[in-house]
Amino acid sequence: MAGTEQTMPKTSAQPSGLARLWEGISILFESKIAVVGLLIILFWIFVAIFAPLLTPYTPTEQDYTAQNEAPSARHPLGTDSLGRDIWTRLIYGARVVLVVLPVTETFWLPLGTALWGVLLGLLVGSTLGLMGGYLGGWVDEVVMRLLDAMMAFPVVLLYMIIIAAVGASATNVVLAIAIVGTPGIARLVRSLTLDIRTRDYVRAAEVRGESPWYIMFVEILPNARGPIIVDAMLRVGYAIFAMGTLGFLGLGLPPPSPDWGSMVAKGRQYILSGSPWAALWPSVAIGSLVVGLNLFADGLSEESTRYQ
Amino acid sequence: MAKFILRRLLLMLLTMLLVSIAVFLITEAAPGNVARNVLGIHITPEQEASFLKQQGLDKPFYVRYLNWLIGSDWRAERRIGMPVKQITTEDGFREWWAVDADGSLIRWDMEGEDLIANRRQPDGSVTKTVDNDRWRVEDPSREMELLTQYRAEIAQDDQLDDADREAILRETDQIIAILDREHPSEEALEAALSEPEAALEAMIDPDALRKQTTLQQLASRVGGKNRVLQALVIHQQLSDIPAAQLGRSDIESMARQLRGAAQDLQEADPRLADQLEQTAQSLDDGDMAAALATLEDVAPRLDELTGSLGTFIYALEAEDYRQAVVALRRLSDPSQGTLEAADQTLIADLLAAMGNQLEDDLPELGESLTQAADDLQSEDAETARQSLAAAANRLDETASTIVRSQRAQGARVARTFWGVDTGNRAVKWQKGTGEVVWRLVPGSGWLASIGGPAEYVPLQKGLVRGDPGLSLRTGRPVADLLFRRLRNSLVLAGIAFVIVMPLALLLGLIAGLNQGKTIDRVLSVGGMMFSVTPQFVTGIFLILIFAFWLDLVPGATVFGEKAPWERPRMLILPVATLTLIELGYVLRITRASMAEVMREPYIRTAFLKGLPYRRIVFKHAVRNALMAPITVIMLHVNWLLGGIVVVEVIFGYPGLGSYILDSTLFKDFNAIEGGAMVLVAVAVTTQLLADILYTFLNPRIRFT
Repeated sequence: MAGTEQTMPKTSAQPSGLARLWEGISILFESKIAVVGLLIILFWIFVAIFAPLLTPYTPTEQDYTAQNEAPSARHPLGTDSLGRDIWTRLIYGARVVLVVLPVTETFWLPLGTALWGVLLGLLVGSTLGLMGGYLGGWVDEVVMRLLDAMMAFPVVLLYMIIIAAVGASATNVVLAIAIVGTPGIARLVRSLTLDIRTRDYVRAAEVRGESPWYIMFVEILPNARGPIIVDAMLRVGYAIFAMGTLGFLGLGLPPPSPDWGSMVAKGRQYILSGSPWAALWPSVAIGSLVVGLNLFADGLSEESTRYQ
Repeated sequence: MAKFILRRLLLMLLTMLLVSIAVFLITEAAPGNVARNVLGIHITPEQEASFLKQQGLDKPFYVRYLNWLIGSDWRAERRIGMPVKQITTEDGFREWWAVDADGSLIRWDMEGEDLIANRRQPDGSVTKTVDNDRWRVEDPSREMELLTQYRAEIAQDDQLDDADREAILRETDQIIAILDREHPSEEALEAALSEPEAALEAMIDPDALRKQTTLQQLASRVGGKNRVLQALVIHQQLSDIPAAQLGRSDIESMARQLRGAAQDLQEADPRLADQLEQTAQSLDDGDMAAALATLEDVAPRLDELTGSLGTFIYALEAEDYRQAVVALRRLSDPSQGTLEAADQTLIADLLAAMGNQLEDDLPELGESLTQAADDLQSEDAETARQSLAAAANRLDETASTIVRSQRAQGARVARTFWGVDTGNRAVKWQKGTGEVVWRLVPGSGWLASIGGPAEYVPLQKGLVRGDPGLSLRTGRPVADLLFRRLRNSLVLAGIAFVIVMPLALLLGLIAGLNQGKTIDRVLSVGGMMFSVTPQFVTGIFLILIFAFWLDLVPGATVFGEKAPWERPRMLILPVATLTLIELGYVLRITRASMAEVMREPYIRTAFLKGLPYRRIVFKHAVRNALMAPITVIMLHVNWLLGGIVVVEVIFGYPGLGSYILDSTLFKDFNAIEGGAMVLVAVAVTTQLLADILYTFLNPRIRFT
């Protein structure tokens, strides 16, 4: 990093890391919208992590004597058509979205399904974008035509076909989110790479005789991280959106997993027969989380541009 | 400009080709198969194979892709040796016919062993004549090879009686010898074959196939109705079919049936009933392994309770008559004690149901079974045993006839003929083999027939000639439904578009002009919330508020064949959902664009010149500010299409999106491809429109 700072005198004039972090946080608190968004996100992360402590039930526990009940003291948000506690299913559902990725029944990875989808998309998309932007020539041509074809494909159709091909499971939802996100990320990274490759420190590395892969991943990628991170934040929101939609269309996590989208899909059948709760609460959950993420990202970018 | 459009159109065709190949490959790689999806998991492997064959799905994938793309009729013509032609009848059905030498239209079907030519008269009526002269022995040496194989199978066949086996083997050997010799002409070959074939013919009971079907139907009807036997069937299915291949609805129906069985057994064996209930619970939870383990435990007890009638029914279904007879004999054998261990009311019910079912087609067997049921009801076990033994003997006789006829049929030399059948396929008919064809006839279930076609080429013109093929799910042309669904979707999207555009642009301009003020804050945060909320969430909220709590408008759409605009009230909520989603997006873009334009130097100049505010906004700013939103909206169509799919699913709206979703879930290849092509065409065309529109709004850009 020292080398970078010498070539960019502007950054060396900035305060130290801790002070910059504090500045960032204070910018955040300037924006009421961003604070509201952050609170919503933190709420969901909190209930997701401490889910087992916040409810006496398990998400698959059925009670045939209490089906489709309205909220009560026993079931704070009511029960669904199989007599399962909706609050419990909601907070365990938040776990799958934000905190864990259930790969198999017994093997769970940390970080949520949505996050893994975005990370995988970032990995593939960045690699393609770097290759296209830095190597140029026929590589660029091939990568770009491929991505163009993928972008001409209606997103939902792509989701449906991918899930239909690989079957419905958390890992495959991650795959689908990654595949659909890849073209956008690749385009962004490519345009950043085209800009950064002309910088002097890239020249210097080339003169030193570094391999193209070293230059791409060690010289270019870290210097393009700003816009990529902002983009990724918005993509997490979109990944949650996509998870919900897939679940709603019956392509999400297989039952009886507490999947928000499929909870809505199942609860929807009972709305017009007088029990709206099973459809209402997961809708509220998914809506609030996605809106929270966007409020946060929005407020942050607005405040930071105002200070520039 | 023309050149630019032409190039874009060519690119569109290229994209469509790539997409169609990609969709095809992915669907090909997907697990599950369309036969199971369309016909349910209860079909037998023979029925499945027969279905796949009839749809031409047994061919390698590149053949199927080419058929879909460029048609199969030209290939079929070579096989048939006559030109084929598609006509549209007066009722609007599309039919394929072969064109005979004299120019008349002809196609064929089979009645028993006779080939029947259907000739279409100029007035549209059809005359039928027997047309057996067209049969040919395709390739004597190949027939000989097949027959030699068949001979080996017969020699091993344990279902055949010894005497029958010998007789069949004798004739087979003769036929093989005849085929081995050189014959001067086809007539000479036919003449030589006539004697041994007549001998085989004599061994065939013309009713054999009907009897066989009756027994098989007995199995599926009686076995399917009895919930306790069904529990055994579920055990079988769970251990045979990999869990991944079972759909949700299959599992749900299994759980339901197990609960039913538990209810039926509550009296006889409460513990068993509890275990079944527990299995159903595991199925509901999606824990297939636990369900299977519990079933594994209870299966022997279930078998005992049903007196092995489960085994009997399986054996009938699998055409293993020997084992069926053995199962029945065991029930009648006093030394085994099977009858005593069983739940006699249950057995009596089952036997009575079977007897009833067989009343018409196999009266003697039916009577013995009914008798046994009556005896059991009057608690006369001894007589019941005798009736059961009699039934076993009758079944043995019937089975011998069926098996003998079947095997004798298979030993004859196949005559073949390539022609067009009445189901719009080029088919190779085969006479003289035991090839069983299963057809699903609406209303009467599966019907088996012998001597049906051995090979099928479904006739289609191919996509490049404007024919996207038949839907595997419905059997109707994809184009019929696809375009009606597309129209419905376009109506929905069109209404939403007409509402959204002026409203969103207006609100966006207002927000952009008042940047930073309260009105801007409200509009842009509100717009953001609507545009990022998943469509189904917005839809559910609208249903809850306007259909459930306020009860103002219907919360679902039911159209059937009708056009959507005939019930406008049902369109309100779907349109409102789409409007809200798009509104936020367009509003935000317009706002950003307007705010940017208002900061431009020429606007400042206009202000400094002292032009009135109204004039600056409408004459200078708006036109430039609208450029970005309009093009971005066009590029947004892909996204909008996704939104429409979800909205259609929420409201049960019969549009293109729900059509493709259903087709994907069914693996209905032709329908998926047709839908995908329409979607890609729509997406690419709107992008082209966006580019063209852009040149009008911004004269600085020229496409060359």
